[in-house]
Amino acid sequence: MSRIMTIWLPRWPVQRRLLERPELRKVPVFVCRRERRGVMTVVAWAWAAPPRAAEPSASRLGRAPLTRIPAGMSLAEAMAVLSLAYGSRACHVAEVDHDDPVADRIALEEVARYCRRFAPLVAIEDATMGGRRGPHRLREPECLQLDVTGTAGFFGGEGPLVRTVVWTLASRGIHVRAAIADTPAAAWAAAHHTDSLHSAAAAVRPQPLARPLARPLIRPLIRPLIRRHGRWAIVPAGTQLRVLAGLPATALRLDAAVLAQLGDVGIETIGDIARLPRKSLASRFPPQLAHRLAEFTGERAEPLVIPCSGELPAASHAFDFPLLIRDTTMDDLVATIGPLVRECVVPLAALGKGVMSLQVRLERSPAGEPREACLPAIIDVGVFQPSSSPQHLLELVQLRMARMRLPREIEGIAVEVISVGTVLCRQRTLFGEIAETSASQVGMLFDRLSGRLGRGAVFEPRPVADAQPEHAWVAVPPVVTSLSASTVPVATGRRGRTEQPQGQQSQSAGRRIGTLVGDATASCRRPIWMLPQPVRLENVLVVPAEQPESLRLSPSRFRIGTQSYEIVKAHGPERIETAWWRGPTVRRDYYVVETSTGGRYWIFRRLRGASVGRLGGEWFLHGTFS
Amino acid sequence: MVTHGVGGVGSDGGLLRRAADWRLAEGRGRETVATGFPSLDRLLPAGGVRRGSLTEWLAVGAAAGDAGGAISLACAVACRLATSSPQASTIVVVDRGARLYPPAVMPWLDALAGDTALTRVMKPRSSPQLVVARPSRDDDEIWAIDQALRCPGVAAVLAWPGRVHATAMRRWQLAARTSGAVGLFVRGLSGRPVAGSPDAVRREPTWADVRVAISPVVGGESAAELSLRRLRLSLVGGPWSGDMPCEEPSTEVLLDMACGRESARRHRTPVWHDATERFQPEGVACRAS
Repeated sequence: MSRIMTIWLPRWPVQRRLLERPELRKVPVFVCRRERRGVMTVVAWAWAAPPRAAEPSASRLGRAPLTRIPAGMSLAEAMAVLSLAYGSRACHVAEVDHDDPVADRIALEEVARYCRRFAPLVAIEDATMGGRRGPHRLREPECLQLDVTGTAGFFGGEGPLVRTVVWTLASRGIHVRAAIADTPAAAWAAAHHTDSLHSAAAAVRPQPLARPLARPLIRPLIRPLIRRHGRWAIVPAGTQLRVLAGLPATALRLDAAVLAQLGDVGIETIGDIARLPRKSLASRFPPQLAHRLAEFTGERAEPLVIPCSGELPAASHAFDFPLLIRDTTMDDLVATIGPLVRECVVPLAALGKGVMSLQVRLERSPAGEPREACLPAIIDVGVFQPSSSPQHLLELVQLRMARMRLPREIEGIAVEVISVGTVLCRQRTLFGEIAETSASQVGMLFDRLSGRLGRGAVFEPRPVADAQPEHAWVAVPPVVTSLSASTVPVATGRRGRTEQPQGQQSQSAGRRIGTLVGDATASCRRPIWMLPQPVRLENVLVVPAEQPESLRLSPSRFRIGTQSYEIVKAHGPERIETAWWRGPTVRRDYYVVETSTGGRYWIFRRLRGASVGRLGGEWFLHGTFS
Repeated sequence: MVTHGVGGVGSDGGLLRRAADWRLAEGRGRETVATGFPSLDRLLPAGGVRRGSLTEWLAVGAAAGDAGGAISLACAVACRLATSSPQASTIVVVDRGARLYPPAVMPWLDALAGDTALTRVMKPRSSPQLVVARPSRDDDEIWAIDQALRCPGVAAVLAWPGRVHATAMRRWQLAARTSGAVGLFVRGLSGRPVAGSPDAVRREPTWADVRVAISPVVGGESAAELSLRRLRLSLVGGPWSGDMPCEEPSTEVLLDMACGRESARRHRTPVWHDATERFQPEGVACRAS
C-alpha cells in the first residue's frame, strides 16, 4: 500500500509575492487577471497581517466582516467588499498585481526541489486534475505530492514527518497544509479540509456518543486526525472512504458543471457519492465523477507528475566505505564537495545563470544507528544574488558546516541546485570596473553574513507608512544592486494619526498631523535606540501647575530600576493614536525628556479611557536618543 | 602596539611620536573624508576620518541605556562616509542586542544623499545603503565586524562591541586597511553585558587611529529645541595625553537630530587647546592609557 503526502500551498500566487517582497505582509495583496472585456478579476488575494477588528461602522450595523473574496470576483467588487469590512484605508494601501502563472509555476518547482529532503519522489499537482472553476478556466497548481511510502520511518513515523514538513516550510515563510493518505486524491481532499477534519475530531472527542455501538467504530478513525493544529491530517491506511466521507464533493476535484449536477439531486458529500451504485454513475453523471471516485478509493491509479521542465543540475559522490567524520578534516570534506559544486555550477554558468540556493546532503551511514538517525544532514545555502562562483558557494557551505553538528559517519555526499537566477553579465568598462567589483563583493559579504548569522539576521530596513513606531519599518533581504530602488514602494500613505493634543501643547501651536515616514521633524523625535518592548517606569512624578508653562503637564522625575532621574527638559506630548485594526487601539502621549545627567529618553504615557486628558495612566520608556 | 607604562616612554613620548611618524607614512596615501562636523574635523589629527582606519567613540555620559549621543554622532559620520564615495556606499551596522531603530537614521542617509554633489552624478546603483546585521553571540559579532571591514564596497562599519581583545582589534585594523572601510566603534556603554565603564575602556589597548570621548552637554537648548543635541568631544589617548590628560583637546558640536548634521544655530566657540599644530603629522598609533 502506497502512502502519499499532499502539501497544499494556499493562495500560492500571493504567497510567492510575499516571499519576494516581505514588506507586502502589512497590506492586502490582490493578484488579478485581465479578462477579455478588460475587467480585472481576482485570482487570489490575502492579507498576511489583517486587522483583528472590522470597521466599526460595519459592526455597528450588525454585519460580520466580509473577508471572503472568492476567486473570479471582479476587482471592483473585491475592493468594495474590502472597504466594507476594513474601511477605505485598506483599499488605498492595497497592492494589486497581475497574474503570472509561469513565475508561479517556476517558484512552485523550486519548493518541490526543496521538498526532496522529505521524499525522493516529489510531484506537482496536475493542473487538469484540479477541476475547472469556470467553463474554460483551469485551476493553477497549488499542491505538491510526495510519495512517502517507506520514508516516514526515517522521521519517526507519519506524524513527525507531516509535522516536520509543515514547520520546516513555515520557517521559510511558506504557509502550507499537509495530509497523508493512501491515494493522491484522498491526500488532496484531506489537505484541503484539515480545518473541518480537525474540528470534527475535536467535536467527537469530548462528547459521549448517543449510540454506544458507534463509538468504537468512529473513535479509532478520528483519533489519528486529532492534532493540536488544524494544519495537517493523517488518514490511516485503508480508511479514506470512511474518514473523509463527510467532506464536500468539491474535495474530489470535480468540474463546476459536475458539481452543479450533483447539487441538483441533493448530493453534497463524498459519502453521498460513494453510496450511489457505481454502475449508475457512468450513465447518470459525466465520466469524470466515476474516475475521480475510483482514484479516491485507489481502484484507479493516479500518476504523479514529476516536473521535468528546467531540471537543475545535481551531483553526488558515494564513498566506497563509510567515512568517519572524526577521522576527517574539514579540508577533506571540502575537497570532496568542491568538485561536486563545480560540476553543478559550470553548466549553469554556460547558460548565463547562477545559483540562488544550493543543497548539500551528507548521507548518513545506516550501520550501527537507529533508523530515525539515518536522515541525511542537509546544508542549505542561499545567496542574495545569483552566483556562478564555485569558490564563493563552497565558502558558504564551509561556513554552515562549521556551525552544525555533522553525523558520525557518512556514506555519500549529494549536491543539488534548488533555484537559479540570471547572472547579469556586462561588458567591462574602462572606468566603472571598481564599482562593479565592489557591488559583487558587497553581495558576497551579505551571503557570508547571512550564512553564519542566519538569513533573518541580515537585512535592509525599509520605511513603512505606519504611525505606530514599532511598525514603522520592515526588514527586507538586502538588495545588492540598487536597481530595486526604483521598484521599492515608497511609503506614501499614512495609517494612524499623530498629533499634538489640543490643550496640552507646549510649544508648537495648533494641531499638527504629519506623516511620520520621510518627515524630518518627525524623524528627529524618533530615538536611535528602541527597546524591543516598552519598559514600565515607576514613580513618575508630574510637575505641579505652579511650575513654568513649558513644563506644565509634563513628567518631572522617573525611576528605572533603582536609579532615579530628574527631568530638566521635556518636549511633548506627541499623541499617537492608531492601530485599532490590529487589536486594542494604541493611544500614547510621547515625550522627549532630558535628565539632569544629560540622558535623553523617549517615554510615553498610555492613555486608557478616563485617563485621557488627565495625568494618570502608566508610563513607559520606549527608547533613548543615544 | 605601544602600551602605556613602558618605562620611560610615557614621560619622554619620543617613541610614541616616532610611532606616529611611522603611521603617518602609512596613512598618507589614504583619503581623508570630512565628517560633516567642522569642529570635529578640526579636532581630529588628520582633519577628518581616514579611509581604512578605525575610530573609537567613548560614551562618557552613558547611563541607563543611553549612550549620551555617541551613537547618533557615529551614525552621522557613517552616513557622511557612505555618501562621499561612489565605490563604497554601504553602511553595515553590527547591531548586537537588536537596539538600532532604523527609521531614525534612514532620513539622514536620504538627506545626505540628496545633498551631496557626488551623488547627483552617481549611478543609481551607488546610492547609499544601510544594512543591519544582528549577531546573537559575541564571537559572531567580532566575526561580522571583521567580515564587513574586509569588504571593499563597505564605506563604514558601525558597531558597539563590548570588551574586545587587542588581537581582534588588530585584525579589524588590518582588514580595514586592506579594504578602505572605516570602523566606527562606540565603546563604554553601560548596557552591554561585558562592557566596562568608560574608564575601563580607556585603559584597554586599542588599535584605533583615534579615540574620541563624547559626553552630552546639559542645558543650553530650550525644551523646544530637543531636536538639537550639544556634545562635548575630546581626544583620548595618543601621544598628547597620558602624562598630561588635562591637555586633551576638546570641542563641542551641536548635532541636529533631524538631518544628522551640525547645526549652525548658536554655535559656541569651542574650547580649543591648539592641538592641531602639535599633532598635525598624524594620527596616531594605538595606545593604552
